[in-house]
Amino acid sequence: MKRLAIVGMPNTGKSTFFNRLTGSSSRVGNWPGVTVDLLSAHIVLGGTAVEVVDLPGIYDLHGFSEDEQVVRNFLENNPVDLIGVILNATQLDHQLPLALQFCKLGVQPHILINMIDEADQLGIRIDADALSADLGCPVHLLSARHGTGFNEVRESLAGRVNQAQHRPLDEMRDCLHADDEIVQHSDALIGRCVTAPSVLVRKMTERIDHVLLHPVLGLPLFFAMMFLVFQAVYTLGGPLQDVVAYLLGNFKGWALEPLAATLPAALYGFLIEGLYDGIGTVASFVPVIILFFFLMAIVEDSGYLARAAFLTDSLMARMGLDGRGFVMILMGFGCNVPALMGTRVMRSRALRWLSMLVIPFSLCSARLQVFVFITTALFTAQQAPLVLFFMYLASFASAFLTATLFGRRFKSDEPFVLELPPYRTPVLKQVLLRGWHEISHFLRRASTFIITGVVLVWILTHYPEGSTPGGAGTWASLMGDWMKPVLDPIGISAAMSVILLFGFVAKEIVIGAMVAMTGLEGAALNGYLTTQMDTTQAISFMLFILLYTPCLSTLATQFTESRSWKFTGISLAWSLSLAWVVSFIFYQGARALGY
Amino acid sequence: MNNINLSCLGIGERAFITGIHAPDGTRQRLQSMGLRTGREAEVIRSPRLGPMQIRVGSVHLIMRRRDAARVAISSGQ
Ligand SMILES: Nc1nc2c(ncn2[C@@H]2O[C@H](COP(=O)(O)OP(=O)(O)OP(=O)(O)O)[C@@H](O)[C@H]2O)c(=O)[nH]1
Ligand SMILES: [Mg+2]
Repeated sequence: MKRLAIVGMPNTGKSTFFNRLTGSSSRVGNWPGVTVDLLSAHIVLGGTAVEVVDLPGIYDLHGFSEDEQVVRNFLENNPVDLIGVILNATQLDHQLPLALQFCKLGVQPHILINMIDEADQLGIRIDADALSADLGCPVHLLSARHGTGFNEVRESLAGRVNQAQHRPLDEMRDCLHADDEIVQHSDALIGRCVTAPSVLVRKMTERIDHVLLHPVLGLPLFFAMMFLVFQAVYTLGGPLQDVVAYLLGNFKGWALEPLAATLPAALYGFLIEGLYDGIGTVASFVPVIILFFFLMAIVEDSGYLARAAFLTDSLMARMGLDGRGFVMILMGFGCNVPALMGTRVMRSRALRWLSMLVIPFSLCSARLQVFVFITTALFTAQQAPLVLFFMYLASFASAFLTATLFGRRFKSDEPFVLELPPYRTPVLKQVLLRGWHEISHFLRRASTFIITGVVLVWILTHYPEGSTPGGAGTWASLMGDWMKPVLDPIGISAAMSVILLFGFVAKEIVIGAMVAMTGLEGAALNGYLTTQMDTTQAISFMLFILLYTPCLSTLATQFTESRSWKFTGISLAWSLSLAWVVSFIFYQGARALGY
Repeated sequence: MNNINLSCLGIGERAFITGIHAPDGTRQRLQSMGLRTGREAEVIRSPRLGPMQIRVGSVHLIMRRRDAARVAISSGQ
């Protein structure tokens, strides 16, 4: 097995190239630091099996941040046969030295000058042959995004794969000192092989930034856009959800019920009313989630995230975080796990840990499902979006409160320097891939812990035999009694407390569990919910769900990223206490005011 | 050594970078992101609240004023 490693600076199109070469779906986005972990795929190249590895971006060969460490560890400990160095054609003055560093290691990299489409537009001309002659290694111009020049690259890689030498780059540290020399060499090369207009003006980008980064209008525009995104999810998502619910209901009516009618009542109840309806209700939210991720993907691929970092940095600085931390909170709106991993671009441990303490409060799409479900059931169509909006405010407020409180303990003086990429038009394929990614993600979760959770909840709420399903005497209600002293003061009924227990594992289970517990769905379930909580209790319940802990995967990621039980423990203890205190204050306060 | 630095420049002003005054790790980082000695830097944006936008060659960076103050520049331009 041969190995091809794809390296380069952040945001140069490594993952785009990797996807085109291997047909995989590594995540792509116009933000430096999208890929923070290794991703590999196997292909056949020139008749040989090759493992292609997509790596995080590096600024040079001696970076110290966690994502750069990933690259170094990989290159030092795994023999590679071929290296493809991806460079951004519009920034050769900045990026060519990195390629030269690799040449200096004696590995003969393939130098792949990407984004040639953008270079053309800017009037940059690059003489690849001259570069190749000077460096003694293959140099290609390509556009990974549009495919220009891609076949030549593929053939060139295939041609070299069998003669390449297999070696780890263990002497990487030795090239630490040659920097100035390398930069001079690079400048000389560029002088000879590249012609460019004296000043590169990113006309389009400048025009857009003139508005979006406006000192006064910038932030309001940002919030207006966020609001539009959520409004779109909410208004478009509802009908989509009804369609899925309708389809699943029909399938049940036509196929499942006649088939299952012969089963014993208990088994029927378990399979249809527990499992099928439970999972089905969760599944009806999938279109909403996909829609949400479509919009997220568009924002990510446009380059606006770096602008969000620019706009929010001074606010975040006051809390000991920086603009990148804010962007991770935004990414957390999709899912907290990749957002936590995204903090790898931060070099200071204090800054990274503080960001990782804050991210779990970001209202992820799984929690959004629960809130949409509950607000639809308990509030009027006018109130529901406002309540949702309130939950987002609570999410931000808790994140900011946490950062402010813990900021003193996690002090860092990490410089905040971030590349501001040009705006790029989101690629439809990319956006669709992202949606597909979410569907498969959901199916994986559904087939593992959502099913397990729903089954367990069904058992707990239907046994021991002879108890009223979902009512008194079941194991669930025993557990509910047991948790009563804690949950009573925040207005959460005993029936709901078991659900909270399972919601700890994954928030999707909450919805499935309500169905499994009651054997009801749709309007009937909404009716049942109104017997369990009034609107004040519902908000208290949602606040608790928002804050107490996102899910087991988030917790596990916090641990693997921090490698500290203490940090993970503190984070969990803090979020549990904050959840309880916030719900308590809200619930008792509202009751005291007569609501 | 003079103490003129990047954070002193106004919008549209340019100057050559003469060095970075920061601990090794930070200096290394800033250099590898494009702030190399001898390169010309231009201030694109400098809002009263928030980071500056700097162009060095073909690279656009946003950085806090505090960090820009670590980048020494030649006076006169
Ligand atoms: N115009 C143009 N854009 C490209 C090209 N290749 C990639 N891009 C865009 O550049 C951005 C970054 O692409 P990625 O593939 O995520 O870059 P990466 O090098 O993997 O980035 P990190 O994982 O953050 O290091 C995305 O918005 C891509 O759509 C290209 O050839 N032309
Ligand atoms: Mg990538």
